[in-house]
Amino acid sequence: MNRVTRRVWLMLVFIAILVGGMGFFIFEYATKSDQWVVFNGSPHVYADERTAEGVFVDREGQTLLDTRDGRTYADDALVRQATLHWVGDRKGNISAPAVSYYLKEMVGYDPVDGVYAPGGADGEVELTISSYVQTVALEAMNGRKGTVAVYNYKTGEILCAVTTPTFDPNDVPDIAGDTTDTYKGVYLNRFVQSTYIPGSIFKIVTTAAALDCVDGIEDMTFECKKTYEFGVDKVTCERAHGKLNLKGAMANSCNCCYAQIAQLVGRENMMHYVELFGITAPVSFDGITTATGNYDVADAAPVELAWSCIGQYTDQINPCRFMTFMGAIASGGTGAEPYLVSRVTVGDEVTYQAQPVSTQPLISQQQADILQEYMRNNVTAVYGDRNFPGLTVCAKSGTSQLGGGEKSNAMFAGFVADEAYPLAFIVVVENGGYGSSTCVPILKEVLAACKSVMDEA
Amino acid sequence: MNGLFDSLANASGADAYIGIFRYAAPILAGLILLRCCLPLLTFRREPEIWAWLYFRDGKKVPITHWENVIGRSRSCDIQINHPAVSRNHAVLTRYDDGSWTITDAHSKGGVRVNGKRVSIRALQPEDVMMIGGIEMGLVPISQRQEQKLAQLRTQAGSGLGNLFNLVLLTLLQFMACMAFLLGGNPDHFIPILQGFGGLAICQWLLFLFYVVIDRSSFDVETIAFFLCTMGMSAIATVDPSETLKQLIAMIIGIVLFLTIGWSMRDLERAKIFRYIASVAGVLFLVITLLFGKEYYGAKNWLIIGGMSLQPSELSKVCFVYAGAATMDRIMNKRNIILFIAYSVLICGCLALMNDFGTALIFFFAFLIIAYLRSGSVGTIGLACTALGYAGVIALKIAPHALRRFSAWRHIWEDPLNLGYQQTRALMCIAAGGLLGLGPGRGYLRRVFAADSDIAFATISEEWGLIVAVMMVVCVVVLGLFAIRTARVARSSFYTIGACTAASILLIQTILNCLGTLDILPFTGVTFPFLSNGGTSMIGAWGLLAFVKAADTRQNASFAVRLRKNDHVEESEVVR
Repeated sequence: MNRVTRRVWLMLVFIAILVGGMGFFIFEYATKSDQWVVFNGSPHVYADERTAEGVFVDREGQTLLDTRDGRTYADDALVRQATLHWVGDRKGNISAPAVSYYLKEMVGYDPVDGVYAPGGADGEVELTISSYVQTVALEAMNGRKGTVAVYNYKTGEILCAVTTPTFDPNDVPDIAGDTTDTYKGVYLNRFVQSTYIPGSIFKIVTTAAALDCVDGIEDMTFECKKTYEFGVDKVTCERAHGKLNLKGAMANSCNCCYAQIAQLVGRENMMHYVELFGITAPVSFDGITTATGNYDVADAAPVELAWSCIGQYTDQINPCRFMTFMGAIASGGTGAEPYLVSRVTVGDEVTYQAQPVSTQPLISQQQADILQEYMRNNVTAVYGDRNFPGLTVCAKSGTSQLGGGEKSNAMFAGFVADEAYPLAFIVVVENGGYGSSTCVPILKEVLAACKSVMDEA
Repeated sequence: MNGLFDSLANASGADAYIGIFRYAAPILAGLILLRCCLPLLTFRREPEIWAWLYFRDGKKVPITHWENVIGRSRSCDIQINHPAVSRNHAVLTRYDDGSWTITDAHSKGGVRVNGKRVSIRALQPEDVMMIGGIEMGLVPISQRQEQKLAQLRTQAGSGLGNLFNLVLLTLLQFMACMAFLLGGNPDHFIPILQGFGGLAICQWLLFLFYVVIDRSSFDVETIAFFLCTMGMSAIATVDPSETLKQLIAMIIGIVLFLTIGWSMRDLERAKIFRYIASVAGVLFLVITLLFGKEYYGAKNWLIIGGMSLQPSELSKVCFVYAGAATMDRIMNKRNIILFIAYSVLICGCLALMNDFGTALIFFFAFLIIAYLRSGSVGTIGLACTALGYAGVIALKIAPHALRRFSAWRHIWEDPLNLGYQQTRALMCIAAGGLLGLGPGRGYLRRVFAADSDIAFATISEEWGLIVAVMMVVCVVVLGLFAIRTARVARSSFYTIGACTAASILLIQTILNCLGTLDILPFTGVTFPFLSNGGTSMIGAWGLLAFVKAADTRQNASFAVRLRKNDHVEESEVVR
C-alpha cells in the first residue's frame, strides 16, 4: 500500500498545471482585459462597428450623435454637416477615431466591475467643439474646400474645426457619381488628415529661426528690387518693396527679403529649427494622429532653399500642427496641445477628464514677444484691425502657389493675444486665391462667434 | 400563476436586485466552498490498525492497511531486512468479513504456512507463517478493540454543519433563480423553476438519505451540487428548454454514483463489478462506432429515441473501474500487461471515432493508473513518447484538430473565424469583471457551445471571475482530497480508483478551462458537472463515487461500510 500511496504525487502534476494555468490566466486578465474588452467587435462595448452605445455632445451639451439605437445625428442639418468629420458617417467612410477611442470609458469599464453599470446607464462624451461656431465657420466657407480651426492655446480645447466639403449624413448625396469635383476628398478631415503647401505663413517659422540664430537680424535692412537672383534662377515679388527691415519684410511678405534671410540662416539651421519647432511632426490627441508635414532641403539648391523659407518648394504643413505652433508663440514659447474630447461620463460617474498638456518649449519668451509684435503689426498695418472688434489679433497670411495653372490656396494663421480670449487659429481655403482677402472675412465671422461663446461661458 | 410571472417579468427592482446579487453571490459561494473545502483539506489522517504481526523475538508490528506488502524493499509496508527475504515477498490481504489471506508474490524462497509451502492461503488463528526463514503470526484486532478504535476516531463532519451548507447552497440557488425571473422572459420561467427547484430537491433527498444511513460527510456532494447549480445557470441563460433534460441526467448520475459506491463497499463485489465495467467500457465504444453519428468531426454521438448520448463519457467511468486493482493483483506482472492490452483496445476505438479530446483524457487516465500500479517512471516515459507519435498522427489525420492547434495563442489574429469562440469568451470575461453582469444578462450565451465548451466564460461573464475561479478551485480541492485520503486508504483498489477519477476530473477541467482561455489548445472537452450534456453529467457523478469510496473517515462515506456493530457498545452496556 505504501508504495501506491507514495506514487499519488503524480496527481500533483495535474493540479499544478491547472493552478498554474489559471494563475497565468489571472495574470493575463490583470494585464490585458482592458484590451480584450474593447477589441473590435466586443459585444458589450460596440453599438456598431465603431463606437459604444452613448451620446456625443458639443461643449454646450447639444447632441451631435446618439448611438443608443443606431446612429442618430443632430436635429439641425447644418450642425450635422459642420460636425460630420468628428463623429463620422453611417457607412464608416469617414475615419472619426475619437468616437471609438474612449470606448472603455464610455462603457465605464474597470477590471473589477467589468462593463456593469447600475441601471444600464450609457456613456456621454463631451466634445470641446461648439456646434454654433462650427456652423458659423461652415457658412463662412461658403462651399469652398478647406478647413477653419480655432483652439484655446491655454487649455488645448478645440473650439472649432470645420472641414469642407461635407455632407448631411441624413441625406447622403451621390458622392460616387459626382463628376463636378464638388465632393472631392469629402471623406477627409482636412484639419487632421491633410497637408498643404504653407506659402507665406511659413515665413513665421523662418523669422523665428532667424531671430534665434542670426545676431542683430532685427536691425538689418534688406532691399527688394522685385527679383532676387541666384545665377539663372530667381525669387520674385509682385512689386519692388524697396528697403525693409525684418518687421517690414514680414508685413509686406517680401519674398526677396526672405531669400536673403534664408541665406543668413542657412540650410543646416533651417532644418534644425523646423525640427525643433516640430513643424512637420504629427500631433496626437484622443486617438487622432495628424498627417506628417514635410521640410527637406538636404539636397536643395540655394534658390530652392530660399523658396523653402518662403513656404514653397517641397514644404508641406498640417493645419492642426501649424495651429499648435501659433499657440506656442501666443503663449510665450510653450502652448497647449490641442484636444477634442473634454470628458466622458457614465451616469454620474466621470470616467475620463481631459487634462491640458503643454507642448515642449519651442521658442524663447523674448523671440515669442518679437514675433507677436511683428504679427500684430501685420494685422494693424495690412489686414485691417477693424475686422476683429474687441480682439487683439496677430496673424500672417499666405498664398501658396500650386503650379499647373491651379489657383493658389489661401492660408491664414495666427492668434488672439488677449488674456480673455486665448485663441490660436488657422484658415485654409483651397484655390481661394489671396490669403488675406479670402481668409480674413471667414475668420472675422468665426472669431466673433468664438468670442460670443466665450463671453457667454 | 401567469399574473405572478408577469409581475416578476415587469418588476422594477430587477436592476437593484442584480446590484446586490453581484456582491452577495460571490460571498455566499465563497462561504459554501470554504465550509466544504476546508474539512477535505485539513481532516486528521488517523491510520486505522487492523491487526498485529508478531515475530519470534517478541516484536509486534501494526498492520494499518487492508493490503500489505511484506519484503526486504524499503517501500514495503512491512519491511523485513533479511537476505533470505525477497524484495517483494508476499502480500497480506484483509477481506471485508475480517478474514486475512497471504499471497506469495513470486518470491524466491516462497511462503510457508505451518511448514507447508503455499501460493495463496486463508489464514486461521494460530497459523504460523514463515517468510525467508522468519516465523511470524498474525493477530487481528478483536471486535471490542475495533469498536474502541472507531469511537476514538474523529467523525467526519457534523450533521448540522452539512445542513447549514445545504441551506446556504439552496439560498444561492434561490437567488440565481430570482435573478433569472426578475425582468426575465416569462416563457422561460417554468423550465428555470423546474431546473433550479429540481436541483434543490435532489440535493435535499440525497442529504436525507445520508442521514437515514448515518453518514455525516456531505462536503464532496455539496461541491458537486454547487457545480451543478452553476451548470444549471449556464443552461438557463443559453437554452432554458434544456434544464429538465439536464436535471434528469443529474438524477441518473446520482443513481449511478450511489450504485458504484455501493458496489465498492465490498471489495469482492467490486472485483465482480470490475469485470462487468471492463466489458461495458469497450461495448459503449463499439456500439458508438457501429451506430454512432458524426458531429463536428468526431463520431462520438449516439442518438436513441431523440436523445443524443456520448457513450465515451460513460466509458471513462468503466475505465477507472477496470484500472483499479488490489495489491495482490498489482504484484502480478501479468495483470498490468492485461491492462495495457485493454487500454490499447480502448484507444483503438477512440482513434476510429476520431475523438481527440476524449482520447487525451483516456491517455492521461491510463498514465496515472500505469504509474500507480507499476511505479515506473520508464513506463510513463514510454507512454508519453507513444502519445507524441500518436498525437502527430492524429493531427495529420484530423484536420479539424490541426486547425484548432494552429489558432492556439493566435486567436486575436483570426477573431471572426478560428478564434471566434475564444475571443468572444475573453471579451465577455473582461466585460463581466470580477463580479459579473448578473445571470441572464450576458452576451456569450448567443455564442455556440456557451453552456458546454466555453461554459466557464459564460459563468465568468454573468457571475464574475471570482465565482468562475471558485468552480476551478472545487475541482482542485477534489484532487487534493483524493491525494490526502490515499495515505489512509484501506486498499490500493480505492486509492487507484479515487486518484484516477479525480485526475480525470482535473484533466477535463484543465482542457476545458485553459482551452477556453487560450492557454492550451481548444479541444472542446466538457467541464465536469458544469457543462450541458447528459452523459457528461452522468459520467462526472460516476467518477465522484470513486473519490467517495476512498474516504475512510469515520462515518464519512456511504461507499465505506461502517465497522461491524459500531453502535453495539451502548446496547451492550444496557445488557
